[in-house]
Amino acid sequence: MLLKSTVRTGLFACGLAVSFAAGSGAFGQAGAARPAAAETSTAQPSALTDPQIAEIAAAANQIDIDAGRLAERKAHSKDVKAFAKLMVTDHSAVLKQAQQLLKKLKVKPEASAVSKALQSGAKANIAALKKLKGNAFDKHYVDHEVAFHQQLLDALDQTLIPGAKNAQLKALLEKVRPAIATHLEHAKKVQSELAKKK
Amino acid sequence: MKWRHASQLVLSIGLLAVPLTASAKGKTYHVVISGMKFTPQTLTVNVGDTVEWTNEDIVPHTATSKIFDSGTLEPGKSWKTTLHRQGAVPYRCHFHPPMTGSIEVK
Repeated sequence: MLLKSTVRTGLFACGLAVSFAAGSGAFGQAGAARPAAAETSTAQPSALTDPQIAEIAAAANQIDIDAGRLAERKAHSKDVKAFAKLMVTDHSAVLKQAQQLLKKLKVKPEASAVSKALQSGAKANIAALKKLKGNAFDKHYVDHEVAFHQQLLDALDQTLIPGAKNAQLKALLEKVRPAIATHLEHAKKVQSELAKKK
Repeated sequence: MKWRHASQLVLSIGLLAVPLTASAKGKTYHVVISGMKFTPQTLTVNVGDTVEWTNEDIVPHTATSKIFDSGTLEPGKSWKTTLHRQGAVPYRCHFHPPMTGSIEVK
């Protein structure tokens, strides 16, 4: 029990630390979850409840929709604009289906330290983006998208999917995973194209 | 004489075309879009066969090639097309460049 709660605090603290320090990614460092699983075989992969997982998933989608909407308007490169548009479309579709499922399951999303850290990290990212223009905007947006999707993918694999107790919630998260992996691949490609232009 | 041969030829082509058109109501193949993949990814069909894509994924997709374009397929939607020409038809999702598939039309 003590170990579990230490791990939990560690995960949250780490998430918060990353969020405030880097202004991005608040899912908790991938490294924070790994030792937890290694230290004790009886430890739950996540101390999060289903309503908390639901809120994290909803927040992650909403955050990427908001950043995408801003980038659709402000991005300089055609590829970045197209990527931003795709993020708005895809994350809106995921959010819609997640909300439908939660309604069906009568699960009310619940805020947690992780979801709050995610939201404050997103706020910092939007504030930073608003100050930038042209190529500098594109670079910041795409770099952040790469990091965000990498962290989301790690969180899905290490915390959210293993942690979900309801089978339908777990299945939905599993269904989302390939989309996030493809977005990450796509974002990395756009990132390397931007680097070539310089 | 030449003209007669020619008209016979046209006539026989015309007759041949009938069964070909009839076979256009041939088989229908199904491709499922799920997990950011087309399954099966490769498909071999005959001229006149139909391919139907169903989006069982969580996000919208397309099946787009040089000769067809499904347009946006929202989750749960299907779209089909009949293939009239022989050859290889590579296609992809317009939104997600890593998603590709191909149809061999025999």
